[in-house]
Amino acid sequence: MYTLYFKIAIRYLLKNKLYSIINILGLSVGVASFILIMVYVNYERSYDSFDGSEDVYRVYMDYKEGDTFVPGDAQTYNLTGPTIKNKFPEVLEQVRLYKFEEVVFTYNNKIFKEKDGALADPSYFDIFKYPLLKGDLNSILQEPNTIVLTQNLATKLFREENPIGKDIVAFSAGNKVLLRVTGIMNNVPKTTHMKTNFLISYATIHTWDTFEKQDREPNWNQNHFFTYFKVDKNTNIDALKSKIITWDFQGNFRERHNIEPIEDIHLYSNKPYEAEVNGSAVRVKFLTAIAIVILVLAWLNYINLSTTKSLERTKEVGIRKVAGAQRAQLGIQSVIESMILNFGAILLAICTSIFVLSIYNKTTGSELALTARTLKQLSPVIATVIFAILLVSLYPAWVLSSYSPSKALKGKIRASANGLHIRKGLIITQFIAAIVLIISTIVITKQINHLQNQPLGTSLHNSIAFSGELLTKKDEVLEQKYEVMKNEIMKLPYVTHVVTSKTFPGDDFGNLSSSVGITYPDGTEDDHNVNYSYEVNNPDYFEMMDMKFVAGGEFLSNTTGKNNQVVINEEMAQRMGISNPKEAIGQKIKFWNEEWNITGIVKNYHHFGLKTSVIPIIIRYSKVDNYMLVKFDTTITSASGYTQAITQIENVWKQTFPESTFDYTFLDKKFDAQYDDDRQFNKVFRAFTILAICIAALGLFGLTSYTCIQRKKEIGIRKVNGASIFKILKLLNIDFIKWIGIAFVIAIPIAWYAMNSWLENFAVKTTISWWVFVLAGIVTLVITLLTVSWQSFVAALQNPVKSLRTE
Amino acid sequence: MLVQLKNISKWVNSGGQKTFLLKDVDLWVHEGDFISIMGPSGSGKSTLLHIIGMLDNFNEGEYTFLEEPVHTLKEKHRANLYKQYIGFVFQAYHLIDELTVKENLEMPLLYKKHSSSQRKSLVADMLDRFNIVGKKDLFPSQLSGGQQQLVGVARALIASPKLILADEPTGNLNSKQGEEIMEIFKELNKEGVTIIQVTHSEKNAGYGSRTINLLDGKIV
Repeated sequence: MYTLYFKIAIRYLLKNKLYSIINILGLSVGVASFILIMVYVNYERSYDSFDGSEDVYRVYMDYKEGDTFVPGDAQTYNLTGPTIKNKFPEVLEQVRLYKFEEVVFTYNNKIFKEKDGALADPSYFDIFKYPLLKGDLNSILQEPNTIVLTQNLATKLFREENPIGKDIVAFSAGNKVLLRVTGIMNNVPKTTHMKTNFLISYATIHTWDTFEKQDREPNWNQNHFFTYFKVDKNTNIDALKSKIITWDFQGNFRERHNIEPIEDIHLYSNKPYEAEVNGSAVRVKFLTAIAIVILVLAWLNYINLSTTKSLERTKEVGIRKVAGAQRAQLGIQSVIESMILNFGAILLAICTSIFVLSIYNKTTGSELALTARTLKQLSPVIATVIFAILLVSLYPAWVLSSYSPSKALKGKIRASANGLHIRKGLIITQFIAAIVLIISTIVITKQINHLQNQPLGTSLHNSIAFSGELLTKKDEVLEQKYEVMKNEIMKLPYVTHVVTSKTFPGDDFGNLSSSVGITYPDGTEDDHNVNYSYEVNNPDYFEMMDMKFVAGGEFLSNTTGKNNQVVINEEMAQRMGISNPKEAIGQKIKFWNEEWNITGIVKNYHHFGLKTSVIPIIIRYSKVDNYMLVKFDTTITSASGYTQAITQIENVWKQTFPESTFDYTFLDKKFDAQYDDDRQFNKVFRAFTILAICIAALGLFGLTSYTCIQRKKEIGIRKVNGASIFKILKLLNIDFIKWIGIAFVIAIPIAWYAMNSWLENFAVKTTISWWVFVLAGIVTLVITLLTVSWQSFVAALQNPVKSLRTE
Repeated sequence: MLVQLKNISKWVNSGGQKTFLLKDVDLWVHEGDFISIMGPSGSGKSTLLHIIGMLDNFNEGEYTFLEEPVHTLKEKHRANLYKQYIGFVFQAYHLIDELTVKENLEMPLLYKKHSSSQRKSLVADMLDRFNIVGKKDLFPSQLSGGQQQLVGVARALIASPKLILADEPTGNLNSKQGEEIMEIFKELNKEGVTIIQVTHSEKNAGYGSRTINLLDGKIV
């Protein structure tokens, strides 16, 4: 009996090819989109989950701003970890990590520049349960001048050799140290906020010249350390958190320690001085929402099509009843048919997802995968949907079998008013979703364009930042060498400016200094706010970056490289309570126990892109060689021209510092890269919006083709009585236009709310103008009319004799 | 007595007025009868047949089928009753398009819990009897009208019913095909199957032993 059900179902699907294709396609596209998005979402949520990660927390600093504490720094003091472990017995173990921006290793005369490494306490492997492949877990990272490499890095450095016991040379900021490899660890997964390629023993801090006394000695002054701790399973975390928050660790009322679960860092933490740019929970939420919307759309489509289509089968139901079928048996048959269709669609969706993922991973180098684990996590959602679909498939069987067989055999069952309302509701829901998605896409695109077209208050074009690691010891002649090199480069024909600085707009947070505690010119002491500052070695930095002065001018340079002159921005001036900028010139401010003279105030500029608002900033004149910024004139227009110029500069660099590495980055590109995530989000969002609209259009297409068939006779009669083709088109399309109207009214507040909350992430927001809604409405209308009209048109063109004869 | 209808009435309400489809119909059918119901369009022939076949309800009257009072039975019991004793033949054949000839024949047996081997032998018998073994794997759309009706009759017979109800069985057929079907009915009647047919044709009515004429829902 069941084989017969299967046979009928498959033959029925094959016979109604258009219907089956629309249904299976719509469903599988919906499910595939859902799976793909959820794979990404799951990837984002899987950050920092390892064996025991649920008991691991990170300590961070809150700073007092005004009367409230705000997260101020992801890094803590070198005393933080050990003190917390001593003071709170529920803390079982702590580890401190000092993350290097870059370390250069040399081995066998080969140079390796490596990011993502840190100084680490021996307790590291107690907390991060990454397997140690070689080395002794009891003594690992205990001795100074020892290093643990990940397998990848070990292979890169040593190839076939056994790395254990080998010595390598490491350079940081021109300071050299000899390190012995004592362990090889498993590659750390990409899904961690603390990417790690190597770990150097914490004790090396005392033997490596790159660290200064203030870093080495236990203190409450320098917070450069990421601190993580592991708690006992039964710990009341809220209690521990409030104990840590209220703990007076150094008599400092301007800041406090706070903790957060390590698993939350990637999505929920966006503090100054993070180890990397983290993900965004909002983005993940939006993507999850769109995944669910697409799934629901596909599902509504299916319900709509299958219930409508099932009305065609009244005759068959009648025959079956006459042959003695009971209602339950008819129900089972209907369910089996939906099952075949749905499982087919899901199978297709899984295959498509795997295919798309493999292409995506190949082209972007990502490691997204549809693992059994992900499938398992998704299965409840998909199962719910299938269950609901099965319920829905019972509905038409139930309705049809409730009619007396004689009626059913005459095929005289028309859609009941109830069913019609439900279908209308489903279509309107689809339209709502489509309109919301279209509005969101337009707003997101508009926002990103808005960001890119904002005046930055500075010009980054034609400028390149050069940096390199010197593999020789720093000495006194280094500065002279630097000056000579800068002059050499300045002589190149197309170079307009050469400047050395600590950082530049768009650079990572890590190169800014922050401090709390400053005395303003009028004598007020500000103990509440964080001040950011950076050093620049050349006064023409401001001219180069096109930063305009509202008062005063650049600081002066001198041969000692120190004159305690600073330039501040308008925001800083405002914070100091200076209303007339001119008055500020020549005034003194005090921080770090030194007095600084204000020589100028520059217009506000965006140091960190436009997601954050302008921060108050102090630019100090000081000796610094972190970056050499070079600006070219506009005579270079081609990429090859830039390559040539860069090669020339590299030659000068290599002449000056034969033993060194050499890096460069375009300032404008680096600044722009801050929006990469948003741009990608935009792309993904747009792609899935288009998919969602396609699904909705498919459903509409199927439904119209059905209504056209159903109203064939009516169309014929109207034509015989003189209706024009246009009149008939109007008749067939007017309903859809009405439904769009209703959907539009409902969609507007939803879209407005969603987009408003998304825009909250940005300091600079675009406006959600009225035309966005109108445009979305028009786009929906056009898509709908295109989908619907083609078939209505064909139906309207039909010779009425033909359609009436078939009756 | 196979079928006993007493004062059967059926009506629909249109515009607040009762429109009678059948009014006070009395009918006795004995086992072995071959009855033809005749009358103009709209006289209630099909309605009467559907009521006898329990495919449709009536508003008034009593209906006894094999001593069972049909008017008091629940739908499920009624279904069991006609499933067991009645076979239907329709003007439009009403075969299931997605099933082959063989599967169409097998379908009623599936709803009656026959074993697989039983079903096979019954289907094979029918195919044999109606000379359609060669057509067993074809779909209805691949058959001529006469062949489709042959399958329709075979399907009605497969569960060996006591009563065959035929609603203009030859209405869609040409005269030669029609004659064949009527010959088959005659044969069946000889074998003891009771037959009630609705027909427009005097000639077809001639195959029966008794003719009932309907006009405006009443027997005349």
